Amino acid sequence: MAPFSGSDADHFKDKARRDLLTLLESVRGKKNLVISQELAGPVGLFVKFSELQDYGVHRVFYLENANIDSSQRNVVFLVRGEKARHVRIVAEQIKRLQNNGNVEHEFSIFFSPRRTLVGNAVLEEAGITGDVNIAEFPLLFMPLEQDILSLELDDSFSDLYLHKDPGCIFHAAKALMSIQQRHGYFPRIVGKGDNARRLTDLLLRMRKELDAEESSGLADPSARGLLPSPNVENLIIIDRDVDFGTALLTQLTYEGLIDEYVGIKNNQADVDTSIVGPASAPQPQESSKTPQQHGPPKRKVQLDASDQLFNQLRDANFAIVGDILNKVARRLENEYEARHTAKTTGELREFVNRLPTYQVEHQSLRTHTNLAEEIMRLTRSETFRKTLEVQQNNAAGADSTYQHETIEELIARDVPLKTVLRLLCLESCMSGGLRPRDLENFKRQIVQAYGHQHLLTFWALEKMELLQPRSPATTMLLPTSGAQAGTKTNYGYLRKNLRLVIEEVSEKDPNDISYVYSGFAPLSVRLVQCVLQKSYMVSLIKGGTPAAALNNASTMSPGWLGFEDVVKSARGATFSIVQKGDDKAVRARQTLSGNSGTKTVYVFFLGGITFTEIAALRFIAAQEAPKRKIVICTTSIISGDRMMEAAIEKGSFGPANASK
Amino acid sequence: MAPNPLANWEKIGNSFYRKLAVYDAIFEDDVELENYLVAGAPYGGAIALYRDETKPLRLRDGQGSRSTIDVYSCSGQRINRINWEQATIRGLGWSDKEELLIVSEDGTVRRYLGLDGEFTSFSLGNGAEEYGVRACQFWSSGLVALLSNNQLIVVSKYDEPRPRLLAPCPEGEVSSWALIPPAHTLSRSVEVLLAVDKTVFLIDSTEAEDKILQNGPFKHISVSPDGLSVALFTAEGKLWVVSNDFQSKTSEYDSKSRVPPSTVTWCGKEAVILAWEDEIHLVGLNGVASKYYYDGRVHVIPEFDGVRLVTNETCEFLHKVAGVTEEIFRLGSSSPASVLLDSVDQLEKKSPRADENIQRIRSSLPSAVDTCIKAAGHEYDGFWQKRLLKAASFGKSVLDLYNSDEFVEMTEKLRVLKSLRDYRIGLPLTYEQYLRLTPDGLIERLINRHEYLLAIRISEYLQIPADRVYVHWASQKVKVSTVDDEAVCKLIVQRLDGKPGISFEAIAQAAYNEGRSHLATQLLNHEPRGGKQVPLLLNMEEDELALDKAIDSGDDDLVNYVLLHLKSKLPLASFFRLINTRPMASALVETAARGEDTELLKDLFYQDDRPIDGANVLLAEALRESDRARQTEKLQLASRLLSDSKEPTVVLNQKLVTEASQLLKTQEALDKDLADNSEYLGLSLNETVYRLVRAGYGKRAQKIQSEFKMPEKTFWWLRLRALVAKRDWGELEEIAKVKKSPIGWESFYNEILGAGNTKLASGFVPKCTHLPPAERIEMWVKCGMIVKAGEEAQKAKDLNTLELLRTKASGPAATEIERMINQLKPKK
Repeated sequence: MAPFSGSDADHFKDKARRDLLTLLESVRGKKNLVISQELAGPVGLFVKFSELQDYGVHRVFYLENANIDSSQRNVVFLVRGEKARHVRIVAEQIKRLQNNGNVEHEFSIFFSPRRTLVGNAVLEEAGITGDVNIAEFPLLFMPLEQDILSLELDDSFSDLYLHKDPGCIFHAAKALMSIQQRHGYFPRIVGKGDNARRLTDLLLRMRKELDAEESSGLADPSARGLLPSPNVENLIIIDRDVDFGTALLTQLTYEGLIDEYVGIKNNQADVDTSIVGPASAPQPQESSKTPQQHGPPKRKVQLDASDQLFNQLRDANFAIVGDILNKVARRLENEYEARHTAKTTGELREFVNRLPTYQVEHQSLRTHTNLAEEIMRLTRSETFRKTLEVQQNNAAGADSTYQHETIEELIARDVPLKTVLRLLCLESCMSGGLRPRDLENFKRQIVQAYGHQHLLTFWALEKMELLQPRSPATTMLLPTSGAQAGTKTNYGYLRKNLRLVIEEVSEKDPNDISYVYSGFAPLSVRLVQCVLQKSYMVSLIKGGTPAAALNNASTMSPGWLGFEDVVKSARGATFSIVQKGDDKAVRARQTLSGNSGTKTVYVFFLGGITFTEIAALRFIAAQEAPKRKIVICTTSIISGDRMMEAAIEKGSFGPANASK
Repeated sequence: MAPNPLANWEKIGNSFYRKLAVYDAIFEDDVELENYLVAGAPYGGAIALYRDETKPLRLRDGQGSRSTIDVYSCSGQRINRINWEQATIRGLGWSDKEELLIVSEDGTVRRYLGLDGEFTSFSLGNGAEEYGVRACQFWSSGLVALLSNNQLIVVSKYDEPRPRLLAPCPEGEVSSWALIPPAHTLSRSVEVLLAVDKTVFLIDSTEAEDKILQNGPFKHISVSPDGLSVALFTAEGKLWVVSNDFQSKTSEYDSKSRVPPSTVTWCGKEAVILAWEDEIHLVGLNGVASKYYYDGRVHVIPEFDGVRLVTNETCEFLHKVAGVTEEIFRLGSSSPASVLLDSVDQLEKKSPRADENIQRIRSSLPSAVDTCIKAAGHEYDGFWQKRLLKAASFGKSVLDLYNSDEFVEMTEKLRVLKSLRDYRIGLPLTYEQYLRLTPDGLIERLINRHEYLLAIRISEYLQIPADRVYVHWASQKVKVSTVDDEAVCKLIVQRLDGKPGISFEAIAQAAYNEGRSHLATQLLNHEPRGGKQVPLLLNMEEDELALDKAIDSGDDDLVNYVLLHLKSKLPLASFFRLINTRPMASALVETAARGEDTELLKDLFYQDDRPIDGANVLLAEALRESDRARQTEKLQLASRLLSDSKEPTVVLNQKLVTEASQLLKTQEALDKDLADNSEYLGLSLNETVYRLVRAGYGKRAQKIQSEFKMPEKTFWWLRLRALVAKRDWGELEEIAKVKKSPIGWESFYNEILGAGNTKLASGFVPKCTHLPPAERIEMWVKCGMIVKAGEEAQKAKDLNTLELLRTKASGPAATEIERMINQLKPKK
């Protein structure tokens, strides 16, 4: 067992790449690749199109476009096996190609992450099981960054909370098992939320099953029942429904705002070329994969740590992004000007050597300046101001009814439906539902403003418990006592007891995670702090100086200890489970390895995480730096808009609007 | 007395071949081998005998025409007898896993798993039925069938057989053929050599390539185990060995026989065996040959490192003598290893020569030890094995540093091999074969032969998992035991208690297959892996249990699968009842049905009495409906569903659904009156009003506003935005004459300013009376009316602002501001 080499991110990336290429190699000769759109992005994260070409891929088609042709004998489909609908489409396309007739095709289907019984049944029904080669492509965690592992399940939010389909919990459990198999068991699993509990139960169960499957390998102790990992501290699972509120707020970090306004998918943002200028020459491999799109020309901007400038900007509050950009611009200028002062040939050579770096930096500076300007323009608009005002009032716990007039105005002014719904949902989450009369009123107005199909939207939001009438029971629950645990997160109580609102936070030189929302600390991350930074939390609540408390954080009580009561007033199950291994073996290993330095904490956000929460977690990680490493895992990256999209009905009445 | 290690060595060319007698007295005398077709499994596996139907049958009582396939071990123990009543057998072969494959003329393939007679079958298809299978050839994991129309069908794996055709081959008489296993071809899939008329074709999945030979017809073709050479037997009785590209001939041998041999096959990589009834020619490189004669019929079973020769009396193994063995035992050998072996003799005689020997080979002692260890592996005889190991042991005791791992492993392997070679087990594996078969494969074979004790012992000895053995044992127990279910279950659970990795599911499956479903259920309860139980439970019609176990496993796919199964099987009502109490199941059913089967959803919601959900399904359907009449109908249906309840949310929903159809009707009317084609239909209410205003139909907009009780504020906003978009400044001015605006005048100012009409915008500034002066000043400034701003500031007595304004102003405005400042300045 050599689990200690390389980061998880590199490991998973490498494995995914190798797996895919091996599979492609198994299909001899040239082939056409048909890929479902939701997989295309993630696959792009770890393999380049040119690499696919090296492995015989002739052209890439999207499954959804249904335009696969007979130009190659070999046709490879890459789809999610869990989606019966996609498997059905594959079956249809295969049949169509078979009937077309003039070419004898050889079909392969790669199911990711696994081949399913239902998928088998679909193929069987279509009568093509015998005609296709079927293989599995076990793609689970995809590393977005060194510290972010995402399952990139776009539908996970709607699956979990709207359809109550636990598929992605199973998926997540499998993925976490792959981490456990690499490092050993998480010594402790701490979690909050009912789905988190379910995930943990699955993990425990899978461990038992794995133990049962492990055979009596006497020779190789590593194969025989895993042990608790020596270099992992714990796994913290936070269910998204514990804290819908945070995700509904407009994200105020740079990366968060880009996500809000442009949208970031698989580390890429499609930005209008009118904003950032056309694509520069050295990025053609990406664009060759995308089909010609209509509308304004877009350019894919890669947003990840490879862009140093972006790395500097991404987690900063937008208020200071301008400053940073100015500073960098000046530095670049100075360095560039240094060419005039270069005297010796050595200095000159050095300058020339650095030229490419300058150019890259310069390019990136231009892109981000333009992007930041565009975002600045948007944030200055009146509607943005009004929206933010409503949000901040809600977050701060002001009486929400005063906001209703503003919301009504926004509706009449035809701001995007998502924005309006976010405000309403935020109010509902923060104060335990809307008054029934208000809700009815809004329902009527929104339906009239945006179309009657949104009756379905409201129904979905209610099912997701995002927008609900305030029942008598929940009104009682409102402030003061945190005793009534369970069905709803009591923001009123938690705001006070976990100090969610910190007015005086500095955006420039932050000392608390609340900087990410300019004064509001994400509850989800506060919960993580309750596990990891107990003394900081204690002093924060008592009102001491937080900075001083950080240092003596080493004496730790595990799990939720010390915060059980507070945490109970957030929604869902609260638990902390120790995974024990064979005592003797553990002790033996401890003496062997000693107490090694850095321990890893895995934080899993079930149902999605926002970029601001990532920023907040990174902020904590930086504070804990030498002692701990935080790896953020999630089912997908989410934002308030994406949450709304899950609910919003996309159809509309009448043929006139069919395409809208 | 030590046996002569050189016994049965035969020199052919530069290398030696050795024929070992492995077992004696194999078959009963009444098995007339000449009348049988024989196929042997690789790696010393079982032998299948089938009576050759082309040979005349001596009539004997009782046996009649019933044909059977008999499976024997190498030592002649009959393992199984398979009755065969199907069509004529055209192919009999084995896979690497010792699965017997029988191909009948009509293209049916039976695959016998294990040696117990359990089988699965599949059909070759592709015209096999019409044309009939002529012959079959097998490789380690697949087979190729030759049809009578010269078509070739390939099956490359048996787990999911996918018979497919190779490229069509030319017409003509096929005189012989051979396959090249995928491991040795460029295309990595199987290819076939087909001798047609005078030449040979190489056929792969896309084309048939003519190798253009003139010396055919070839009576036999055989490809060497490493795929590099091909042996061809010509009609003139000559054996040619050519390279695999047919470009060069490496050797030629004249058998001087007009009758073609019954078998031509390779013995290792370098020699070819020609076998007639009772005569074997071993042809080495350069056409040097050696001949063996037998009393009766001899059958040749090829292995990758030699051949097994089976007669009634003996089972022999003919193979090339390994290099290490030759190095030690060859006459007059003075290699270090052979000297080392000699010193053991000297040591036993207590002769000082032992030490002298060691000193002599001191420098090459490590390699001598290695050689002795390896040679021990290749030795069959216990005496020489011991002797060689002893030599190695002696040699390494002299060495200061020597890694003994190989020595230890070799002793272990030899022990295992010895136990296997025992005639009661009958697995005469060579060392090389054992390495290729792997210990896992070996255990598999022992299980097939029900040698559980030995299998467990070997597993423990080699430290490999023994769970398979236990499971097979238990399954067998279930099959044969006659005691009641409780006792069997107890016995099995007791025996397997504490053994890791036991799959009770597999045992339960066996029990179920035996028809003991009660026992199966009992056994399943001991299965720790929830998911594994489900398919079997479904088979056993334990629907509810299966569903529960699937839900427990958390695997959505499994649950979906069970649901799919149950939905098609149960009446709808009982299906609903089943899922009703299980939230996860009903959620999954709902999700799946939403995409595909809305009728099911409606039924479900009706049954559950969920009117809103039911109405929503109809609403969703109405959205997808392109036909207006049907759309209306659906909306009405939805509205009716909701009308029964008094609950406020339901009432509101009902109202809104009705409103939706009303709106659609109104829009239809608008389209008819005002638009050429459908322009309004499907818009939201707000959008409808907005467009109407923008198109100049203010009156109609107002009518709709009152009709649908649109809030006044909303209407004002819509009108404002629409008029601005229309640039209808006149109308806006008109509106401005009204005293009060429900949305304030500031919004007017903002929107109009946003559209660029500063003049009109400025008109609204004085109306914003409730705003603080500072903001009004800002508003004036934005319109470019500095003077007005100044006046405002003057009114508010704001000197600072005036100073600021002065910097912005120019021309006459500047003087005006200056004047104001002066006025305001406190008089000194």
